[in-house]
Order: sequence, then structure tokens, then C-alpha cells
Amino acid sequence: MRLTGFPSIVINSVLMTATTVAATRPHYGGTLHVQTAGTVTTLDPADTSQAETLAARNILALMFDTLVVLNERGQPQPGLAISWQAEPGSQRWQFVLRPGVRFSDQAPMTPEDVAASLRRVNPAWKVTSTDTVVVIQLDTASPDLPAELALARNGIVKIESGKAIGTGSFVLSQWDPGKRLSLSARDDYWAGRAFLDSIEIDNGKNFREQAIAFDMGQSQLIEIPPDQTHHATEARQLRTSEPNELVALVFARDAQTPEEAKQRQALALSIDRQTLNRVVLQGGGEPAGSLLPDWLTGDGFLFPVNANLIRAQQLRAEIPQAELWNLGFDVNDPLARVLAERILLNANDAGLRLQLASQGNPDIRLVRVRLLSLDPHVALMELAKSLGISPPRFLGSSADDLYHAESAIMQSQRVIPLLYLRTAWAVSKSVRNMTDGDDGTWRLPETWLAKP
Amino acid sequence: MKLRRKLLAVFALTVFLCVTTVAWLISYFARRNFEQASERRSAALVERFDREFSSVGSNVARRVESIASGETAVRMAISMNQGPPDYGAYLEDAKTLAQAQQLDFLEFIDEQGTILSSAQWPAKFGYKTTPPGSVSLFFQREDLPDGAVLGLCAMRKVDAGGKPLFVIGGQRIDRQFLVGLELPPGMRALLYENLGAGAAPPHVIDPFGVAPEIGPLAELLEKIRNNPTEQSAVVRWLPDEDDEVVHAMPLVGRGRELLGALLLTDPLRPYLELRRQIRSTSLFIGSGGILLAILLSGWMAARITRPVEQLALAARQVAAGNWNTQVSVGSSDEFAELAQSFNQMTGELLEQQERLIQAERVAAWRELARRLAHELKNPLFPLQLTVENLMRARQQSPEQFEEIFRESASTLLTEIANLKAIVSRFSEFSKMPQPQFQSVQVNEVVQESIRLFQPQLAGASRPPIQCRLELASALELIAADPELLHRALSNLILNAIDAMPTGGTLTLRTREQGDRVYLEVGDTGPELSAEECDHLFTPYYTTKAGGTGLGLAIVQSVVSDHGGRISVRSKPGEGTTFSIELPRNAEKLRTTDVARSTSGSS
Repeated sequence: MRLTGFPSIVINSVLMTATTVAATRPHYGGTLHVQTAGTVTTLDPADTSQAETLAARNILALMFDTLVVLNERGQPQPGLAISWQAEPGSQRWQFVLRPGVRFSDQAPMTPEDVAASLRRVNPAWKVTSTDTVVVIQLDTASPDLPAELALARNGIVKIESGKAIGTGSFVLSQWDPGKRLSLSARDDYWAGRAFLDSIEIDNGKNFREQAIAFDMGQSQLIEIPPDQTHHATEARQLRTSEPNELVALVFARDAQTPEEAKQRQALALSIDRQTLNRVVLQGGGEPAGSLLPDWLTGDGFLFPVNANLIRAQQLRAEIPQAELWNLGFDVNDPLARVLAERILLNANDAGLRLQLASQGNPDIRLVRVRLLSLDPHVALMELAKSLGISPPRFLGSSADDLYHAESAIMQSQRVIPLLYLRTAWAVSKSVRNMTDGDDGTWRLPETWLAKP
Repeated sequence: MKLRRKLLAVFALTVFLCVTTVAWLISYFARRNFEQASERRSAALVERFDREFSSVGSNVARRVESIASGETAVRMAISMNQGPPDYGAYLEDAKTLAQAQQLDFLEFIDEQGTILSSAQWPAKFGYKTTPPGSVSLFFQREDLPDGAVLGLCAMRKVDAGGKPLFVIGGQRIDRQFLVGLELPPGMRALLYENLGAGAAPPHVIDPFGVAPEIGPLAELLEKIRNNPTEQSAVVRWLPDEDDEVVHAMPLVGRGRELLGALLLTDPLRPYLELRRQIRSTSLFIGSGGILLAILLSGWMAARITRPVEQLALAARQVAAGNWNTQVSVGSSDEFAELAQSFNQMTGELLEQQERLIQAERVAAWRELARRLAHELKNPLFPLQLTVENLMRARQQSPEQFEEIFRESASTLLTEIANLKAIVSRFSEFSKMPQPQFQSVQVNEVVQESIRLFQPQLAGASRPPIQCRLELASALELIAADPELLHRALSNLILNAIDAMPTGGTLTLRTREQGDRVYLEVGDTGPELSAEECDHLFTPYYTTKAGGTGLGLAIVQSVVSDHGGRISVRSKPGEGTTFSIELPRNAEKLRTTDVARSTSGSS
């Protein structure tokens, strides 16, 4: 019998609605295939020998929980600690641990485990524990300690037989260091099992390899370089973060003479950041005049970003003999090479002499440094540490204090900010409910895969 | 130099010159042929590399053409005509296309030379470069972030509106390019880069990345800088290495500026080894030839000069008095005629000598007879007068006979004694003894002789004669017979005393010169005429009334027996001086000394 007319339309409508609901409804299972350019050479959050990559940070975040997590606005939220309290002066902090948390080896997480983990990463801290509380005693006031505890390196780790064991939602099931690793969802995770059964991550894949794998359906999540975002937007579902990676020139030492200071100023003024962003990054970033992006601090407009070649040439003319500077960059980073070559041209326009150096100890390094925290104070502190410059001095925790600290670093002329880069991911349409932070981190526990 | 040596030298020199000339000619023509062959080889190589460059250039041009006609270039050209260029959209286009077409350089530029996209320096978008010209294939300096390099480039124009797009692509001319060249064995290809300000200083690289010293090439490079055409030069890289011919093919840019040069080195080692072989062979053959020539020349010279030497020897023998010398006549050439003439000459000389001896002998006998007659006539005449006086006295004055007899007997005895003396002197002259040589100090002989004549010189019965001795000090000993010398000197002294009846000065002088000792005896008596001087030493010639004419003959005989000479000079107012020249007779002196020492030791 064949249905015709209105009944047929009604039945078809019902069936279509049911199908659509089934496709959008969360469900457990499936393996998420991810490819990244960055590599993971260690799975110990405390091991700082590994180059900081977003891939590593995301993977570690899946395996190792922190006491505190930051929300989208950079505000501390409970993690493994359900509450915390600072004594006056912000030098002594007490963190009450979440009960019932177990490591991936089923062992319960104890306060002493937490204290030991924090002491391992922060030897300067005095960390003690009671039955349910961990106490951290600091030498100086640290009002941003909770935000600092949200950093990936402060993930809670238990070392067993040389292996790092965490309390995260996923556990390592297979690892070929630097190439591939597999994570399995934990059924006993304290915040509930993730929808995904597992995640397989291939490391060290260039963009072309990732794009091919993505287009062939072999990967559902790939990393898009900042200068390739315009290609990805056309055919792929693109997730871009706020600018969260600073590209800057870092001098190896402080300026030794007023002439050298002028030369650094001339170099900073000669670089056309707008063109770098527009052409080289093809709009994939923002010109940077400050260390922290405007979306994080709100004071970015106070730091000029426009080039002033005439002023640069004037400053150059005031220098009897300009030094020849070696400009180092990561030769494995094609974007860094183009940026360095353009900086070389800009500097030459101002009458400055730069030469590219792929090895040795250059006078200036072109670096890419990712923001490690959504808390601006912590982010600036970590940024200074990553750049190898003196840490900022905060007089307080206000926005003005942050600005002054940042200005002080800029005035030291050790760093010339150039660009902020955005993190971009191409996500397959089969990946559902994937949220990502402003800093480009994954939020995979709530993600599921659509049924084919 | 003897004739044989002269002939030998002439023959050897002639052969040497001939052999040397032949060797030089062989070496010269061999070198010339090799040089011509090398030039032909070089020309072929240059042509080949011209073709190589043309081939590479065609290849580059084809790829650039492919890019220029491709979708990207056309899209870029259209976009450029529609508005300001979107450099970001082209950023990787040049690089991608260059990789696809395997080009080292690729740039898209507009009419003003503004770079829209660059493969070799992607960040150079918007910057100016050399505006496109009309040349489609050219060498060009390519600026890279880490320096400048040399490229062989092609250019194509893409018209998609009013503003043309230019595509310039190229291949890097560098070490890899040198590696890709196929060279004959032994040859090397070097690249000279002269990329001007902002680039590395002019330098030379080879396929192995080694940078040879530019010094040996300086002259050649200067030549091509001044005149950028193909040039060659012989270069020696190190003092102990062989020469190489370096051919320079200039690589010039669009403005005819010299950007570099391809240097092809052609080692001269094979040529030099072959030339050395030819030279050593020539030297060996030449040396052998010269040696053989010297031997043959010696043999020839000996053969030619032997008759001459025989003649010379014979002539010396004739000169020495051996007039009956004959040379053998062994052939029938000019030397044989000369030998016959020589033999004939000596024969005639011998005959003439015999005739002369015979004539002299007759003359001597006549002179002897005349002297004997003269000498004997003088005493015979008183004898005759005395005997006649005796006979007359016996007949006319018997009473006085006894007295006359006694007087006559006395006169007879006296004259007979004179006769006996004359006979004795002749006998003595005929029995002149041979000198018995021994070491003699001439000064001592002089002093001893003069001592004997001191009474006569003092002049009790005549005016005194002053004696002046001028004897050389440290006179060398000579080999002589002292008795004979004494006798000869005594004769001269006696003659001098006789020559000064009114007194005067007797001078005795000795001196030494070389290996000869001179003894002079001078008087201040009347001078002698030249004729008298000529005949003084002739036997029986005398200027004195009672002289026998044998004294000076004896002196000459003694001097002659000692191998010496005697001469006389006489000048008015100065008197007459006899000079005796005596050789030291060193050989006889040594013999004498040895004999003396032998006898002394025994």
C-alpha cells in the first residue's frame, strides 16, 4: 500500500524530525582522531624541558587535573579543589580537596599526593597537607595563586615506577613519543565519563598532511597555522581562538649604550606590523604593540603598533655606527622564516643591518610564545619567564598595576612585540558540542561524535 | 790550444749546435702542436658549455613560459589590472610554482619592478627590483636574505590589460650547477662570482665547496673584468704544481656588467709529461749524439792532425839541430805533399849544412894555418936571425963568437920556449875539459878571482886600478864548474886590466833575474869598435900585441858549456863590459845536491 497525500507528508515529517534529533543527541562512544603539528615528548606536566605546544597542553589537560580551573573570563573555578581561602597578605593559602577523586590507577587522591605534586613543580613553595586540606605557604604575597595553580604544569601527578599518573578524564593507553598517542576515557572519572571512548592523536604532522587526512576523513580535528586560516575557512569548520600567541623579537641582553637603545627603538619603529599581519598572516593575527593582547587586558591601544620609518631613519642617523645584529629564528617554522626575512627588509629600509642566523647565539631571537593563562597577571608572569626576561613587578592586582608592569618590561627594550596569532582548529562536522577556550584549549569531555 | 783540440772543439760545437737545434725544433713543434690541440679542445669545450648554458637557458625559459601561461599568472595579471595588488593572496604563489617547475628563482613583478610574489624571498613583496627589460634570457644577481647569488634567468610577459605582468624565473648558478656539468677527465669547472656591493667579495668556488685562492687567477679575472669576453690564461695554483690552462667564460648581466665567470681548467699535466718525455728523449739522444760526435771528432781530429803533429815534431827536431829528420808519407793527400816537401827541405838543409861545415872546416883550417903560420913565424924569424947571426959571427968574428953564441943560445932558448908555449896553448885549447857541475856561489867565485889579481890591481909597476864589487846579496846557488868559472872570470879580469894600462876602474857586478844569474865585468879602458866586438870571441882573434886570441874563445866555450851566454857592449867614455848570463841549472843543481848528500851519508 502506498501512502499518498497528507498522511504521507506527516509521516515523513515525523521520521525526518526523529532522524535530526538522533543526530544531535549526545551519545557515548567513538574515537576522535586528532592531528597536530606540535609534538609531545613527555607526559609529565612538571617536565619543563618540553617545548610548550598547544597540543601538549591540551593532551596534558585531558590526563591531569589541576586544583583550580579558569573559566572563559579567567576566573578561578573549582577543580580538584572545591574551595580555597587565603589568609591576609595572600601568603598562606588553604585548598580543600574534592573527595572521592581517584588517580587513573584507581588509587584515591590524597592531600599528601597533591602536596607532593605541587612541591615537585614549585620547590620554593612550602606545601603541607592535612586530611582534606592542602596548605601552601609562600614567601611573598601571591593574590593570583589560584590562577597560577590552573596552569598545566601544576596538574596533579603521582609518579609510579617513573610514570606520571593523573586524575584526568582520559588515561594513556598507547604512546609512541613524538609521533602518536592514544587516550581512553575513564569510567570512574570524578566529573563523569567523557562521551568519547578514546582519542588518537598523531603528532608532528605538517599542515598539508593534516589537511589531506582531514579531507579524507581520517582525522576529525586538525591544527591550522595562523597564515593558513583563510584557506581553511572555505571548506572546513574552523574554530579560531582569540589572539593567544605572541610573536616578538627578544634581545639576548639589555641595551649596553644609549646608541644601542636608539638602535633598538629604530628597529621597533621600522617594522611594518600591519603588513606582516595583512600579507604574511593574511589577517590571521593582530599587530602587537604590547606583550598581552587587548582582549585580555583592555589596554592594548596604549601601545602603538604602527611603523614609523622616518622616525626610525632619524634615530638611525643619530647612531654613528649601527651594530650588525644576528636575527635568529626557528628554521623549522616557515612562518617564522618569512617574518624574519620581512623584518630584515624593514630594518634595511631604516638603515639598520640585520642578518639571519639559523644557529648559534643570535643577538635577537624571533620567538612565538603562547599565553599560558587567561589570568593576565599570571599570563604576563609566564610570558616573561618564557621570553627569558626579568619577571614583572606587580604593585597590586589592579588593571593599572598590570599596565605599569607591562610598560616597565616594554621600556626595558628587551622585547619588541610584533604580532598576536590566533589558534585555529579545523573540526569535522561529525564532532559535536566541542567547545574551546579563548586560549585555544580543547573542551573535549563534553564532546561526542555524531553517528555516521 | 793545439790543432787537435781546436778541431775537436769545432767538431763538438758543430754537432752540439746541430743536436741542440734539432731538439729545440722538436720541442718547439711539439709544444706548438699541443698548444694548437689544446686551443681546439678549449674551443670545443667553450662551445659545449655555451650549448650547455643555452640548454639550461632554454629549459628555464620553457618553464617560465609554462608559468606565464598558467592560471596563476593570468589570474595575478588580471587582478593587478583591477586594483591594488593583494600581496597576501600571492604570497606563496611564486614559491609553489617555482617548486612545481623546479626553478630556484621565480618572481612576479610589475612594469615598475615591484615584486608581487617572490619564491626566493617571499617576504620581499612590495619591494622594488630591477625593472624588466627587453632581454628574455640573462644572468642576474639574485638577492637572498643570506646573501646574493648568481642566476640564469628567463623573463616572460603576461598581458591581461593595460598593466603587464612579468614573470622572471631562473636557475641558480652555483656549486650544484658545477656538479651537474659533465667534464672530460682531468678538467675542473670553477665559478667566479662577482656580485658587487652587498654580496660576498669576489670569490671562486669549485664543485666540492672548496674556495680556491683567487690570487693565481687575478690576472685572468682582471682581463675579463676589463673585457668581458672569453679569455684564457696559464695558471699555477701552487709552486710545486703543474700549470693549468684556465678558460674563462664571462657571465654578464643585462647591463653587460660582469656578474661572474665559468672557469674551466684544463690541466697541462699530460702535455707537460709528454713534453718532458720528448725533452728527455731528445736530451738522451742528443747527449748520446754529442758523446758519439766527440769521440768521432776526436778520432777525426787525431787522424787529421797526426801528420801535422809529426811535421811539428820533425820541425822541432830540425830546430834542435837534427837535420836529418824525416817524416813518413802515409797517404796521398795534401799532408803527404807537405811531408814530402818537408823531407825534401830537410834533405837540402842537410846537404847545405854539410857543405857549410865543409866550407867552415876549410876556412877554419885556413885560419888555423894562418894563425899557426903567424904565431910560428914570429919566433921562427928571431930563430932564423939568431942562427944566421951565429953563423956570421963564426965566420966574421970568432973572437966574439962565444959571447954571441951565449946571447944567441939564450935567444934561441927563449924563442923555443915561446914556440913551446904557443904549442902548449893550442894543445890546451884543444883539450878544454867538460864542466864538472856542483853548487856554486857565483859571488864567492868572483871574490876569489879578484883576490888573485889584487897585486896587479895595486899597480906597483903600473898605475893602479880601482876595483868595484857590486855583488847581489843572497844570490842563489847555481850548478857550475867553479874551476872553469874561475878560469873564464880570470881571463875577463886579465883582459880588463890589460885594457886599462893607464889605470881605471874595474867593476864586477852580479845580479839575479828569474832563474838566471848575471855576471858583468866592466873596465873603463878605450872602447871597442863594433867590428871588434863582433870578432872578439873568434878564436885567435886578438886586439892585443902579444895576445893569442884564445882567451875570450875559452871564456865563451866555458859559458857555452854551462848553457849560458856571453855578450859585450862598449861605449865611448864608458869602457867595455862583458856580461855573462848563467842559468841556475836547477835540475843539475838537484842532482848535484842529491849526489852530495848521498856521498855525505855514505
